[in-house]
Amino acid sequence: MVYALLLSSLLAISLLAVPMLLGDFVAYQLGLYLIYGITAQGVGFLWGKAGVLPLGQALFFGVSAYSTGIIFQNVDSLSLHLVFAILTLAILGVVAYVIAAVVFKRRTNSGPYFSLITLALAMIVEQLAGTTTHITGGFNGLYGFDSIAGLDPFGSLYYLIVVCSVSVTLLLMILNTLPINLIAKAVSENEPRMQLLGFPTYALKAQAFAFSAIIAGLGGWLFASHQGIVTPTSTGFALSAELVIITAVGGRFHVFGPLIGAVVFGFLASEMRDNFVYWELLLAVVFIVVVLKAKGGLAELIVVFLDKIFPKLLSISSNEFVRTAAPPSNRVLKAGNLIFCDVHLQIGVVKILDGVSFVLPESGIVSVIGPNGAGKTTILNTITGNLFPTTGSINFEGKRIDKRPPYAALKSSIGRKQQVPSVFFSLSASDNLAVAMMAGRARVPDYFKRSTLTWYNSALTNIIDHPNVPLKTALNKTAQTLSQGHRQFLEFAMTAATEPKLLLLDEPCAGLSSEETSLMTELVREFQSQSDGLVVMVEHDMSIVEAISDKVLVLHQGRVLSFGSFLEIKNNTEVQAVYAGGTK
Amino acid sequence: MSTILLINIAWQVSTLALVTLGLAIVFGKLKIMNMAHGEFVMIGAYAPIITSSLGLATWLQLPICIITVSLVALILERTIIRHLYGRMFDSLLATWGVSILLREIVELVFGRSYQSVPQPVTGTIDIFGTDYPAYRVVIFLFVIFGFIVLAWWNKRSKVATQLKAMVENPELAQAIGINTGRLSAGAFVFGCATAGLAGLLLAPTVQVEPMMGLDYLLKSFFALVVGGLGGLDGLAVGSSIIAGTQSIVSVAYSQTAGYLAVLVLSIFFLWLKPDGIRASS
Repeated sequence: MVYALLLSSLLAISLLAVPMLLGDFVAYQLGLYLIYGITAQGVGFLWGKAGVLPLGQALFFGVSAYSTGIIFQNVDSLSLHLVFAILTLAILGVVAYVIAAVVFKRRTNSGPYFSLITLALAMIVEQLAGTTTHITGGFNGLYGFDSIAGLDPFGSLYYLIVVCSVSVTLLLMILNTLPINLIAKAVSENEPRMQLLGFPTYALKAQAFAFSAIIAGLGGWLFASHQGIVTPTSTGFALSAELVIITAVGGRFHVFGPLIGAVVFGFLASEMRDNFVYWELLLAVVFIVVVLKAKGGLAELIVVFLDKIFPKLLSISSNEFVRTAAPPSNRVLKAGNLIFCDVHLQIGVVKILDGVSFVLPESGIVSVIGPNGAGKTTILNTITGNLFPTTGSINFEGKRIDKRPPYAALKSSIGRKQQVPSVFFSLSASDNLAVAMMAGRARVPDYFKRSTLTWYNSALTNIIDHPNVPLKTALNKTAQTLSQGHRQFLEFAMTAATEPKLLLLDEPCAGLSSEETSLMTELVREFQSQSDGLVVMVEHDMSIVEAISDKVLVLHQGRVLSFGSFLEIKNNTEVQAVYAGGTK
Repeated sequence: MSTILLINIAWQVSTLALVTLGLAIVFGKLKIMNMAHGEFVMIGAYAPIITSSLGLATWLQLPICIITVSLVALILERTIIRHLYGRMFDSLLATWGVSILLREIVELVFGRSYQSVPQPVTGTIDIFGTDYPAYRVVIFLFVIFGFIVLAWWNKRSKVATQLKAMVENPELAQAIGINTGRLSAGAFVFGCATAGLAGLLLAPTVQVEPMMGLDYLLKSFFALVVGGLGGLDGLAVGSSIIAGTQSIVSVAYSQTAGYLAVLVLSIFFLWLKPDGIRASS
């Protein structure tokens, strides 16, 4: 926080000195570049943090500029101007939210689709702006309005732009230190995991888009006052492209990156555009090199450089192991059975589940076994909503759960650990756990409080503080540097931290040594006795199954072959036939 | 609906299907979101201008088009795309830069102004009492014929399966004897070349300029959103819905409205039928 205040006051001071040191004309130019910079910072937030690339961001910039111009022409009161400005930004935010929510709702991999949709939107609005001459003035542009509060575009308006630019920068830097930043990163890194942690990721991405649209709207609002004319180019393809380029080249992962990009690009372009024919060509090449080889852009270079000169400056120590007791989970816990009733699942011509029916007890550990292709993981997928059954029903706690999306699974108190450990690889182990602690527990204000990052509960500490679990010393390491075994424990801890009544484990001991395997089974048993809920575990290793299970469910070719205690299963002739020679 | 509108829709659908074919291969099979797809259409459309500025015979347009486009595609594949198979988002970024680069190069060489290309086949044909440009009829028949041949070949060949195997697991594909380097390069260049060919065929009917590709990129992308990435039938359905909607709404209201209708339609498809119309329901 201190760091953010320090850097933004440094920015404020240097920007305020410009008119005095370099003259009003340079300040006028810089003002325009700062306006683009603000907009690009919104792009940087969306792209660098939330992993969503908008190719038509000028849409919001231009629409805001047009509506500002029209309001300035027709209304003559500063307070009304401000009211309308806020109204415009709010409308832009809502529109952006709706578009993104619709595009992201049904699939997690629609990033490229979204980029193209935004591109098409910007092109259409550019066309509309050019053809609806009676409203927008067509290709001649909309002009003949004064700037906001009559500020001189070549003088005092600059200071308003500086205020906006510094405020946006400060806001983004503060957001960087808050839990919400972690959530945005986690969504862009591993969306399926976030859904299993109960986060409606489509809404989060749509909110990030709405936020960036509002920032773009602010840019457009300033632009109208600064330029005194709005043309279709300020809402179209070329400006959108420029915004993406300055964000990429400036550095999308840093708050200052897009701002630096906009200012450098602005001054360079004003020099080069007319004197150097290969300027645009050079720009395209620089962009390609940046996206392929230097993702951090200019800002990353500056950070590396500063780090060399002042090694201590940028490394903020965050080795505080403060713990705050987490609030209880938001959901109502009821006891109930897990009931599968004649569940069929067919993909194309392949029948994966072929009439699965069973009733599992409220409490205990149930192992699911069966040869490869029996449908074990598919059973888990239908419980979490990653796959919808073709026919049949699944009930848990007396409610049907077979036609709801994965992010709603945690709400019905279902947690899941994946077969291949699915964690947030670029985040540290402690950040991974912090995200899991927020799952199903954090309310809106909690995402904006730093103390949320220190939440813990007994389900978590039972695992982390266990003397044999290797995580405690690795909390500051990023998950990608952890070994496979450590990742298994990390993901188990994350899933357990959400305190599900129904815990689904998909081969939790895969890739573990024999000591680690017995540790994992011990942890699972401990978790079950603490939660008194149901644990459903897919497992191949019969010695683990024998050691841990209260009941065993045997699947074969998409059907339930047998259900009973381990001994009953072992002596079942049908099971023996399927496993001929496979059991011990 | 008048006859002329129907024939026009048939023309729009067939040319869009040809443009979309390349994107369906590159996007659907190789998982490369090629943002420069439209630029290949554009380069193809410049082939007649290259030919005439070199003073070559008209029939050389076709080989010049195919060679130019394939060469550009091959260079692009070898330098950039090769590293990006299966990484859709990274490929989108890189090819987006490439699309700017290609536009700028063409602009430097030919200028920004509109160019018009004379029709190699002149005259009109009487269809149900309406005179229609013979050139368009010839191209329409050619595209239909081309797709029939392609569908026939696709049924017999294993290339589609090999492509799928390669993108999902390149090492395993190599292990079972697929030359992945050649296969992927071949598929990418073929995809771009069909786009170039579409550009050449469209050139006499549109205004040729460096920015023309964007429109084709978006329309062919929308056709894939609506039709799904499954196969040729999805492509045909997608192209028909997109080109049909755009033609009808454009005639009834305005060009912009036609555009808007297509966009709204695509957004609704992403929401309600995210895998396209041909997805198993």
